[in-house]
Amino acid sequence: MLSYIIRRLLILPILIIGVTMLIFLMISMLTPYERAALYVSDVPKRQGAIEGIIKKYGLDDPIPVQYWKWMMGHKDEETGEIDGGILRGDLGWSKTGSSPVVEVIGRRLPATAELALWAAIPMVGIGIWLGVISAVNHNKLPDQILRVFSITGWSIPTFVFGLGVLMIFYAKLGWFPPDRLSDWALRIVQSEAFTQYTKFNTIDAVLNGRFDIFIDALRHMVLPVATLSYLNWAYLLRVTRSSMLDTLRQDYITTARAKGLSKRTVIWTHAVSNALIPVVTVAGMTLIALLNGVVITETVFNYPGIGSFVAQAAVSLDVISVLGMTLFSSFVLVLGNLFVDVLYGIIDPRIRLD
Amino acid sequence: MKILKKLLTNPTSLIGIILLIGFFLVAVFAPQIAPPPENARDTQMIPRDGFSTTPKPPSDAHIFGTTEGQYDIFYGVVWGTRTAFRVGVVITIITTTIGLTIGSIAAYYGGWVDEVLMRITEIFQAFPYLLAAITLSSVLQTIYGRGEAGPLMFMARILAFLTFGHKLSDAVNPIELSVLTGMLAIIAFGWMTYARVIRGNILTIREQEYAMAAETIGASGPRILFRHLLPNAVFPVLVIASMDIGSYVLNFAALSFLGLGAQVGYADWGQMISFARNWIPSLANYWYIVAYPGIAIVLFVLAWNLVGDALRDILDPRMRGKGNSV
Repeated sequence: MLSYIIRRLLILPILIIGVTMLIFLMISMLTPYERAALYVSDVPKRQGAIEGIIKKYGLDDPIPVQYWKWMMGHKDEETGEIDGGILRGDLGWSKTGSSPVVEVIGRRLPATAELALWAAIPMVGIGIWLGVISAVNHNKLPDQILRVFSITGWSIPTFVFGLGVLMIFYAKLGWFPPDRLSDWALRIVQSEAFTQYTKFNTIDAVLNGRFDIFIDALRHMVLPVATLSYLNWAYLLRVTRSSMLDTLRQDYITTARAKGLSKRTVIWTHAVSNALIPVVTVAGMTLIALLNGVVITETVFNYPGIGSFVAQAAVSLDVISVLGMTLFSSFVLVLGNLFVDVLYGIIDPRIRLD
Repeated sequence: MKILKKLLTNPTSLIGIILLIGFFLVAVFAPQIAPPPENARDTQMIPRDGFSTTPKPPSDAHIFGTTEGQYDIFYGVVWGTRTAFRVGVVITIITTTIGLTIGSIAAYYGGWVDEVLMRITEIFQAFPYLLAAITLSSVLQTIYGRGEAGPLMFMARILAFLTFGHKLSDAVNPIELSVLTGMLAIIAFGWMTYARVIRGNILTIREQEYAMAAETIGASGPRILFRHLLPNAVFPVLVIASMDIGSYVLNFAALSFLGLGAQVGYADWGQMISFARNWIPSLANYWYIVAYPGIAIVLFVLAWNLVGDALRDILDPRMRGKGNSV
């Protein structure tokens, strides 16, 4: 087991370096002038200002030298201070957010994390439950209905679904508004009297004993959570169904039934626990879907998280912000996949042997 | 043939096929269904009826209504089928070609070539693809924005040749360039699955008894490759990849929706729906700006998925038996 984890950890640096190289490759397609222009907010009035930036940051150095500086930081020759450097945790300056990219991430991550967390619960719970039901009733009515449901769900783009539910539940009925909090609630949350323990509005509201704010936060959360998770219910349903169908054909299931165990016991204790092993592998896919999904979902619902920021920055061609955010999400994804692989190795003994 | 027969007898895939034929007919007969204005320079640009900023509900002149800026929704939905087919088919062809090439080179040479190619594939997979595509398209837009783009412009021309049938020597116009930018971004992060599947398939099949048997009875190298390895390794991938057209159309629509694909006014469903972002509080009145293009895209993707789902069941031999012991 240990050697399996070590082998996985050894691939990790290769992946992370590869990811940074690919990102840098994208930046290096821009000319030094275009890249210098990314660092200045206005058209420089002074002649030669852009040339100064190019010289100062070595933007016309050979590509490998630039990559090294970009990763490790750039040493200022006059002051001797080290500036920037991805490995030093500096992802550059975000024009769209008027602050360093890292600070923007820090500011907006809690909102996205809260959304993703709430979305994960129905996603996993409902998806797996429906998948089991579908498999147990293979080719019968519930299976047919769920297959139609999953394949239809799989065909609805996130933004169409999001706009559709907004049209019904916000514009028509006024139940669930977009954004993250109502104005009055936002004022309270940002005031001194309210302690932001976790920056997750729903949890903080409970900890502060403000149930009106909890309800308000929840109301804003319902539609984005539904939008972010429905695609993955559909997906998890399909994966669980096919894995469950495979498991139900195994001899040990027949044996268990022959022993006289009830159908219910066989399904939920013997079959499901084994059928879920392959389902864990798609947890990585689900993470990708979440990271992709937040971009569209947050944009549709005007939800102030990382995703809506990326969309906004990309439209205004703020390449530095977009690259920084993408780099950050790739790290999240790489680490998430590592976690899933290790978890998979723990629950499925067959993997470790290979 | 057997596959086709099964597809036509399965009710869900039959619905899918009928829908696809319908969309195809709409795309072919677009000039008859929604005639473009006589002086139109580019028929893919939706004609405008005035410049008023509020959308107008369906009427006799505009049966699906108009968006803000008075773009005719019916025209956009009809001509959008052409965009959908073009974008989906071309992206699928190019991504599978890249995937097949890389995957089979890796499987054929093995050793360090395999190692390097597979690591590169993994690196591309380490990105959430939509974010990666957003990143690449914002970089590409900056580059194409300056007009002179060297080899990248040549790539755009090849893509314009495949997508719009333009000559390679022709300069690409800015309207089409924005469509191509979105496509390039999706292609760059779309080929990895095919590469891995092909590689895996070739490696497995090479070890199969029938491949060895062919070798034992003295079949020539090319005969084994073309007669035994490739059909079994490549054909299923090609069939399944062709069904990914729907999801590529979906991804492209998402880019357009964010403002990174087709330009405003282009007959593209995602772009048309993005108008709705400005009218969210009053969507109940302006439902038609989401509903018509939205239904078009859902049906289009659904059609591919219905056929694809049936195909997967047919091609996966484990699904053929109906045994169910519980």
